[in-house]
Amino acid sequence: MDKPKILIVDDDSNLRRALKIRLRANHYDTVQASDGYSAIAVAQKEQPNLIILDLGLPAGDGFVVLERLRDSDTLSSIPVIVLTARDPQSNKQKTLQAGATAFFQKPVDNGELLAVIRESLPNTWPGKALPS
Amino acid sequence: MNNGHTVLLIEDNPGDADLVRLRLVEGDSAVNVSCVTRLEDGLASMAKEPPSVVLLDLNLPDSRGADTFRKVLEKAPGVPVVILSGQDDVALAMKALHQGVQDYLVKGDITSNHLERAMRYAIERQALLRSLEMSRQQQLEFKNQFLSHVSHELRTPLTCIHQFVTILMDGLAGDLNPDQHDHLGTVLKSVHQLQAMIRDLLEATRAESGKIRIEQRCITINDLIQQATSMMAPTAKEKQVGLGIRLDSRIPFVYADPDRVLQILINLIDNAIKFTPPEGSVLVKTYMVGADPNMAYLSISDTGSGISPEAKALIFERLYQDPNSVDHNRAGLGLGLFIAKELVELHSGRIWVASEIGDGSTFSFTLPLYSLAKLLFPVITYEGRLRDSIVLIKVELTPLSNPPRTNWKDICQQAMDTLRRCIYLDKDLLLPVMGNTKTSDTSFVAASTNLELAEVMMKRIREQLGANAGFTTAGVLRVSATAVRLPSREDGKPLEELVQAVAEQITEMATLALAVQTSP
Repeated sequence: MDKPKILIVDDDSNLRRALKIRLRANHYDTVQASDGYSAIAVAQKEQPNLIILDLGLPAGDGFVVLERLRDSDTLSSIPVIVLTARDPQSNKQKTLQAGATAFFQKPVDNGELLAVIRESLPNTWPGKALPS
Repeated sequence: MNNGHTVLLIEDNPGDADLVRLRLVEGDSAVNVSCVTRLEDGLASMAKEPPSVVLLDLNLPDSRGADTFRKVLEKAPGVPVVILSGQDDVALAMKALHQGVQDYLVKGDITSNHLERAMRYAIERQALLRSLEMSRQQQLEFKNQFLSHVSHELRTPLTCIHQFVTILMDGLAGDLNPDQHDHLGTVLKSVHQLQAMIRDLLEATRAESGKIRIEQRCITINDLIQQATSMMAPTAKEKQVGLGIRLDSRIPFVYADPDRVLQILINLIDNAIKFTPPEGSVLVKTYMVGADPNMAYLSISDTGSGISPEAKALIFERLYQDPNSVDHNRAGLGLGLFIAKELVELHSGRIWVASEIGDGSTFSFTLPLYSLAKLLFPVITYEGRLRDSIVLIKVELTPLSNPPRTNWKDICQQAMDTLRRCIYLDKDLLLPVMGNTKTSDTSFVAASTNLELAEVMMKRIREQLGANAGFTTAGVLRVSATAVRLPSREDGKPLEELVQAVAEQITEMATLALAVQTSP
């Protein structure tokens, strides 16, 4: 059985690597993108089950990515978790309105992030039954 | 005077007005003088087009003395004002200058040179003041932007440290021996401290530029204190400091932002533990004060080294550090008490400290009690009388899953924001949350409207929340409305009493509606 695939979008390669280790240990597959433009390209090619998205990105920031995702026929139903260093007071509502499922400020508590990932995956996903 | 300057002369005595006009033209023929005889006309003219300078007589048909310049300064704060007075009153002149008038001239003494110079200086001084104020504002803005940027940039490397330390600690990169695990635990703790400091830095910046938002609701203060003390218990235990509570169980609901109050409490308790030696103790209390019946009192006492009178005066200032602090190990940024003070004051409360060197300290603060009557007043009254009726709209959010999703609280928060956009904030009141059942989150709107118009509002609420995918996948929405008849005006009772009665009626209706919660 396939594992759920998560696309990590962040311009910090170290953080991408850390998230990859964390997510693989929790039985998820990961793919990566480092800017807004390639985020859409990778999403189209890989059709991930969930996206973890930074806001401050080169070549189209997180809000642009959210908009592109919502406008796309094939990508609009993928849940997006925003993970950013930006402050929640001025960004949380904005990202949720733009279609994100959840907002976390960095550094994030791993337990909380994993819980929201589990809940955000489509109900039909068999991988949901996997132990965390 | 330069060409193009306009002078507004407010003077009711035609002889004096002519004389001033003559003096002005003698001094500079290009000056453009307009003259009015009443203050009201002068204010109207200034509102339409601010003049370069105002020459103001104090005793006018519709205003006299200090009131005259006070009104002018209030209505047109940027316009230089020169007073032309009939009498040489030094006290009044001083008062005028202190409040922002540029000059005070006595009519009999005026020559054209004199008047022209006074006006020129008045205009220049005012321009200088304005540019100083602007550069001060710019500096503040720059500093705040810089701090906000710094705290954002610091989070990125901190996140990386946090991630890899937890990867190591959780054994994702291989097994650790107990010592290694212990050392990494110390690193993680420092990461959390650094994280708290970055948060405080941003918070203090926001407080300074007035950007902190609070969301007041109806809360049980004693519950919050229990929560704060249980969160701080490990810190107290580690330092072998006792942490106790003594709560007044009769304290009514408090009207405050629970997250912010928790922040204040944790801040003060953490400080208290920090400055208390091992074997000492910290006590958190709530109480009421007879002379101040609309406030709840909270205090945090410690048995620490106390605070000197000099330090006491400065302790709530931004960046203040007690130079005699016993524990240099745990010195922070000096922002905690500043933030606490800002947060308390945003709730219209007070914060203060009582302390003697060597005899511990007690930090106290007040929070307003919840009064629905006060909040309802503008909704249910109209031109000093009670309305005939209003509508109570009930908005119920029920989660689809049990237990609800981890971000259910966020979803409800977002729904509340949407709800707030669907009502008229000046006419309708989103009642503070009265306590939620386990199965759903329910909000009430008291709307100053009739049932027919309430339908429109409800439709808007359903549409706006229904369009939100984040909400519709997590919960179900129910909206209903009830008309509330208000007591007849002929009752003869004072308005406050009637409003109080309506507040009780609405509380009862809402409580009842909460009790008969519809099941999903």
